[in-house]
Amino acid sequence: MKTKIENCLAVALLVGSTAVAAQISDYQSVTEELLRSPSSGDWLSWRGTQAGWGYSALDQINSENVGQLQLIWSWAMDDTGAGEAAPLIHDGVMFLPGPRGVIQALNAANGDLIWEYRPGITPTIEGSNAVALGPDQLGTAAMPTTAFAGVGRGVQKNIAIFGDMIYAATENASIRAIDARSGLLVWETPVADPALGYYYTAGPIVANGTLVTGINGCERYKDDVCFITGHDPLTGEERWRTDTVARPGTPGGDTWGDLPLRFRAGSDAWIAGSYDPEANLVYWGTAQAKPWARAVRGTSGDALYTNSTLALNPDTGEMVWYYQHLPGETHDMDEVFETVLVDVDGRQSLFKMGKLAILWQLDRISGEIIKATDVGYQTIVNVNPVTGAITYRDGLLPRIGEQIDMCPSTSGFKSWRAMAYSPQTSAMYIPITLNCELATFGPTEQVLGGGGTGPVRRINYPHPQSNGNLGELLVLDIPSGEVKWRYRSRAPINTAALTTAGGLVFFGDWDRRMFALDAENGDILWQTRVTTSAQGFPISYMVDGRQFIALPAATGGASWSSMLPRDLAPELVRPRNGNSMHVFALPAP
Amino acid sequence: MRIKACSRKAFSLAVTMLIVNVVSVAQSDDSIWSGVFTAQQAVRGAADYSTNCASCHSVDLRGNSNTPSLLGMSFMFIWEGRSLGELYTKMRDEMPSDRPGSLSTQSYEDMLAYLLQSNQFPAGEKELKASAGMLDRISITSKPLTDSICCRLDID
Ligand code: HEC
Repeated sequence: MKTKIENCLAVALLVGSTAVAAQISDYQSVTEELLRSPSSGDWLSWRGTQAGWGYSALDQINSENVGQLQLIWSWAMDDTGAGEAAPLIHDGVMFLPGPRGVIQALNAANGDLIWEYRPGITPTIEGSNAVALGPDQLGTAAMPTTAFAGVGRGVQKNIAIFGDMIYAATENASIRAIDARSGLLVWETPVADPALGYYYTAGPIVANGTLVTGINGCERYKDDVCFITGHDPLTGEERWRTDTVARPGTPGGDTWGDLPLRFRAGSDAWIAGSYDPEANLVYWGTAQAKPWARAVRGTSGDALYTNSTLALNPDTGEMVWYYQHLPGETHDMDEVFETVLVDVDGRQSLFKMGKLAILWQLDRISGEIIKATDVGYQTIVNVNPVTGAITYRDGLLPRIGEQIDMCPSTSGFKSWRAMAYSPQTSAMYIPITLNCELATFGPTEQVLGGGGTGPVRRINYPHPQSNGNLGELLVLDIPSGEVKWRYRSRAPINTAALTTAGGLVFFGDWDRRMFALDAENGDILWQTRVTTSAQGFPISYMVDGRQFIALPAATGGASWSSMLPRDLAPELVRPRNGNSMHVFALPAP
Repeated sequence: MRIKACSRKAFSLAVTMLIVNVVSVAQSDDSIWSGVFTAQQAVRGAADYSTNCASCHSVDLRGNSNTPSLLGMSFMFIWEGRSLGELYTKMRDEMPSDRPGSLSTQSYEDMLAYLLQSNQFPAGEKELKASAGMLDRISITSKPLTDSICCRLDID
């Protein structure tokens, strides 16, 4: 008996060590050039390319044959946190970010594990003096290992690939580099103090040889403000740090009234940006000011640079321009989301949409507004379509303790579920959720360590135009902004959208469904059902001449993911766990 | 499925219970300021909170941008005037939001004690129990005026 156990142990150890030692033997370094024009079979940036389209140029799977899609492999991911995975593909390998810092390299054709990185368990690479952060360095952000899907804890949306490394930003406010061949840790750089509330949920992008990363968790009052950093990809050394909040005495500093620095909270940069290599500009969104309501914040000023799009020089961090979408925002209407770079009629533009479902088109060189399209679902502001100027509607400015009736709810119509652009149809495919709220904003303590969002007594109710549907895939023609078609469902659309050259748009909903629709007219061409709610960033790639569609399912996470279905579609039930990846292709020829 | 009509016996029982209820409200000291949980219970609750809730609501209960604060003004803004029973039900039926209702009754009771203690409500002699509708009769209120007068006098 004893020897048997020993044998098993020996085998187990052997298996364990070979698993760690497994390598990607034919790994090709990812150059700046490759990031600019990746092969259509790869998916090297979190939204496919640096322009953030969420579009695959592959067309093997198309509107003719998509009905034959089959599950080729699936993979259960850790259930230790919220899943909002945005995987990458390089030369037939999928780099899959899981909750709480786990990254796995899988054979993208069959789902075999090549290596996995686990924080605190995977060793550092030989010759590196990197020190993985221990519990003592994690401050109060150190969470018990038994913790489940914490909102804002453990979320790891996107990662980046560059050179020979995979880059991730952690829930403990550090950035780490992992050897892409072996999965071993190369360096880890603490960026901010997690005990002050800082953490990352979005990973870096690479722009002109600099890792650019935006911090999250800036809602607490502290003697510091929110920021975006540039790091050296080889060493982890910080090259620059650009505040996303104007400090007193700096340009724009007076837009927070006379609030001292410590009470200037928010402007979190919690979604990764896009990059235009020709202009050498990085575009990054910032979140709303905190506490959410002006009356609670203690200033009705514009609060720069909250709820803005920032254009940054990636070499220096210099803010070349900013455009503030909602000055002095006061209802938790975040504008932080993805930036989609599209040239329209020769005009280098960028497109953004925030919680209000206003589509913004900016000139991405000058930062000037070109057009603002209000889809017409929100009831909070009036927006001038030409100047982009907003004014609050009568009675809609929150006062402490007084209920207001607003659409959307504080969860918003649009959230992190990124929209996709298709050059074939010249349209934007936008996952939104229809909902409204009776909201009563309340006060919070103005003390160091306090602040936060401020409390809200909220009663969610269905949107009057929704016919009881929460989910909508809204398709807007570019540049007219006219509605091309809408797909609606009772369940929220719970993934980002993926468009393909096969004339398709892929996405999934909270009710475990995954879909392929005809991008031209919205016809449902394929659907399937999976483990739990679809959640994350769908991608497409090719290995050995075969096109794959990868659709993530997951639980946890905020805005629409838990509260809205619970309150407004209580008959829908999903399993409480089941973070997983599902990969489809046409039957083998 | 058919629902049985209310029998006369059951009806009179319900009425009696109602009367007993009203009487007990009038008689017993159900003020949240009279010590409705024990310090020991709050210690247990703190441990359970850190395992099951802190990942979202933060170690210091102040939440983050996706999760409400359970402390101080924010807590009172949401809960003042409502009953402990309502708060308990919210916790038991909907929290932790990623696996609602998954913990034991005692754990929910202990965590409620911890929440109360963190919000400066006094501990007492008897453990907080969710049974027998007791929590429904305890209202979440700000510190009564008499208390503050007492304390100011104390300082003088
Ligand atoms: C996965 C994240 C998560 C976890 C874990 C979690 N909560 Fe929550 N909690 C939320 C969110 C989000 C809300 C706000 C939405 C709602 O009211 O349902 C909330 C609301 C609450 C509220 C109501 C507060 C208010 O202002 O209305 C209470 C009380 C609460 N949680 C207690 C707990 C307790 C106790 C635990 C541990 C047993 C816990 N929560 C675990 C996310 C979480």
